[in-house]
Amino acid sequence: MPDIEPFSPRGMFHEGWTAEVSDYAIACGWSLKGKQFIVGDVAGGIFAFEGDTGKIIWEKDNTHSGGLLAMAIHPEGEIFATSGQDGNVQICNCYEGNVIKTLDLGKGWVEHLKWSNDGLFLAIASSKKVYVFNEIGEEKWISEDHPSTVSAITWSNKNELATACYGRVTFFDIVNNKTNQKLEWQGSLVSMELSPDGDIVACGSQDNSVHFWRRSTGMDAEMTGYPGKPSHLSFDDSGKLLATSGSERITVWSFKGNGPEGTMPGELCHHTEPISSLAFSNKGMLVASGSRDGSVVASFLKNDGNGDPVGAAFAGDLVGAISWRPDDCALAAVNAKGVVNVWKFKVRTNLFSKGFK
Amino acid sequence: MSIKDKVPVTILTGFLGSGKTTLLNRILSEEHGKRIAVIENEYGEVGIDQGLVINADEEVFEMSNGCICCTVRGDLIRVLGNLMKRRDKFDYVLVETTGLADPGPVAQTFFMDEEISSEFTLDGIVTLVDAAHIDQQLGRSDESSEQVAFADVLVLNKTDLVSDDALNTLESRLRDMNRMTQIIRAENAKVPIETVLNLSAFDLDQILKRRPTFLEPEYPFEWTGVYDLNAGKYELMLEEGPDPEMSLVALVNQGESEEELKDGAESSLRLYAEKANTLEPGNTIPYGEHINLKLDDKGNKSFILNIKKPTKIGLFTQHTAEEFNMKVIKSEENKEIPFNTERFWQAEHEHDDEVGSIAIERFGDVDPEKLNTWMGRLLSEKGVDIFRTKGFISYSGNPRRIVFQGVHMLFTAQPDKEWGNELRRNQLVFIGRNLNEKEMQEGFDKCLI
Repeated sequence: MPDIEPFSPRGMFHEGWTAEVSDYAIACGWSLKGKQFIVGDVAGGIFAFEGDTGKIIWEKDNTHSGGLLAMAIHPEGEIFATSGQDGNVQICNCYEGNVIKTLDLGKGWVEHLKWSNDGLFLAIASSKKVYVFNEIGEEKWISEDHPSTVSAITWSNKNELATACYGRVTFFDIVNNKTNQKLEWQGSLVSMELSPDGDIVACGSQDNSVHFWRRSTGMDAEMTGYPGKPSHLSFDDSGKLLATSGSERITVWSFKGNGPEGTMPGELCHHTEPISSLAFSNKGMLVASGSRDGSVVASFLKNDGNGDPVGAAFAGDLVGAISWRPDDCALAAVNAKGVVNVWKFKVRTNLFSKGFK
Repeated sequence: MSIKDKVPVTILTGFLGSGKTTLLNRILSEEHGKRIAVIENEYGEVGIDQGLVINADEEVFEMSNGCICCTVRGDLIRVLGNLMKRRDKFDYVLVETTGLADPGPVAQTFFMDEEISSEFTLDGIVTLVDAAHIDQQLGRSDESSEQVAFADVLVLNKTDLVSDDALNTLESRLRDMNRMTQIIRAENAKVPIETVLNLSAFDLDQILKRRPTFLEPEYPFEWTGVYDLNAGKYELMLEEGPDPEMSLVALVNQGESEEELKDGAESSLRLYAEKANTLEPGNTIPYGEHINLKLDDKGNKSFILNIKKPTKIGLFTQHTAEEFNMKVIKSEENKEIPFNTERFWQAEHEHDDEVGSIAIERFGDVDPEKLNTWMGRLLSEKGVDIFRTKGFISYSGNPRRIVFQGVHMLFTAQPDKEWGNELRRNQLVFIGRNLNEKEMQEGFDKCLI
């Protein structure tokens, strides 16, 4: 249990709803354009709640024997995919939770799922291989074996997929079955995020550093001095700010001007234990962070990466995942005890939102 | 999270065919009330009967700085990172490595990765050795000697296939390589489960409670004889021998069981650390003191033993009785009294294997600053070759004993219990490859106050 005292939502966080799932909640996301909230627990239970009230819509258990590892909701929000230790991927319908298609990828754990932005492709990482399927579960592409287990995948544009593993990031044109680029660096890459334009590649490394590359110029840089491995990375929607964390602190690098090389990053110190989830709002420069201590904080950032907290709430236990509602008017956090919290985030008027920009 | 809440992890290493899977199955099938999760790197030929078994390919991740102690096992980080979310399903983890695995990165993973070290604690490293083949394997591969070097427990398996003599020789070879390990002989990997699980081998408080010393010590004496003597006057007679003098400690009420002999050896060891009083022939030998018998005269020399009431006298002598043809004679009857029991002790000797243990044991206090400088330099220069370090230290001015341990260059030191009335001393064991014992001992001696 966390050491901090429970507290009521503060600042821009307001009471919303809470619910429970059966086990440690590891994945969550909004579907049906924010009308529905789906939570996956580590044992393979999947639960869909009404976005406004928290009323359960459907639930199912044991979706993956051995346990659930990943979940990804389609950008249109009507279908979602889950994967697990059983080596399977299930593509399901959000309305009833029915399985549309099961993909059997063999024995290895299926640890990562990512829909392309246009929703035409689903990328799947299992052990050393990466697969791409379409929405209806037809196989479109398979990679060769990577040198090690693939640790992160993300789409750089609609046909191009980036994969990270020990020692390198690779960009694949999955339509023409081509390797577009290889960025090599000796280190175990544990996380990867791309800027929204796909130019900046940021990776957290096991040796407590963040390495990034600019694809357009080929320049790369290493940001060292993290107290722990930076497992959590998030870009804001403009690609100016990269929030990173490998400890209870959040370090924000600003890519404005010539930065971040040679600049001082912004530092946010709001938690007493390491960050366990980190996400920028869909629009604007708000970053939400959840910690092992159960606290959730939203901070409003300036261009230099520094900023102030605008709200905080207590999720009760280690925050397994957080998710902004598509309109950024609510934030959800799920925890290690299986508790789901959704807080309303004070509605920003147009006038207010101009203030952010 | 305190160490009690963390899930203990045992690493099981050993060459292919040494019996790891048999041992694993034995552990899993025994009624011990533990729910064990198994991470298996070597799979295929024999299945695991039950339990939560996860297969993972060994992935050794070196860091860009090239530092060997930062090298970790990516597969373990991934699997354990997921397992920690399922803690209600198990309360113990066993990691079975491949026969060719380097135990260093496996152990380091539990210290280097914050996420892992916050939830799991390395309980111990158990290495299985095939008694019939290990001699050849040690000659052929670095991995097998490293697995021996890292072990907290060595299970000498398949002893039924090897003669007792060969086993003794092998055990002594393994003991030379790793002097802090416990060696257990087994047939068909049949060992009591408590000898391989819950060792708390990395929890120094626990080890020191169980075993006050890390070492199977090398004593400064080679021989002990226990004599059952009635009241009266006796002479200790020595002929000419290899040295013009010999150290000795005589203890009254010396028991004859192995345990009593070891207790006596422990007491004598402390007495040996004190300066010896020289004794000329013809004088009476005091009990419970370190003395140095002067033996440079020609011919027989005799020293007096006075016995007031019947007792058993233990003589702990620097050399064996044989070397000086040493005898105890009852003076009035001029009759030799043979010893009831004799015991030979491990004396310091040359080590053949590249991998070996170096033990440093010194009474007194060390200067913390000097020690830090020395250890810092030693580990930065030799950290690659030093596999394990364990020990305790007496810092001047600090009422508590400082215990420490290391894996390669990773090193932790923490204050332990108060010394109280105990004689302050230092004990360090280094296990590594091609270590220079003399240089290290001299280096340590310079840190003493």
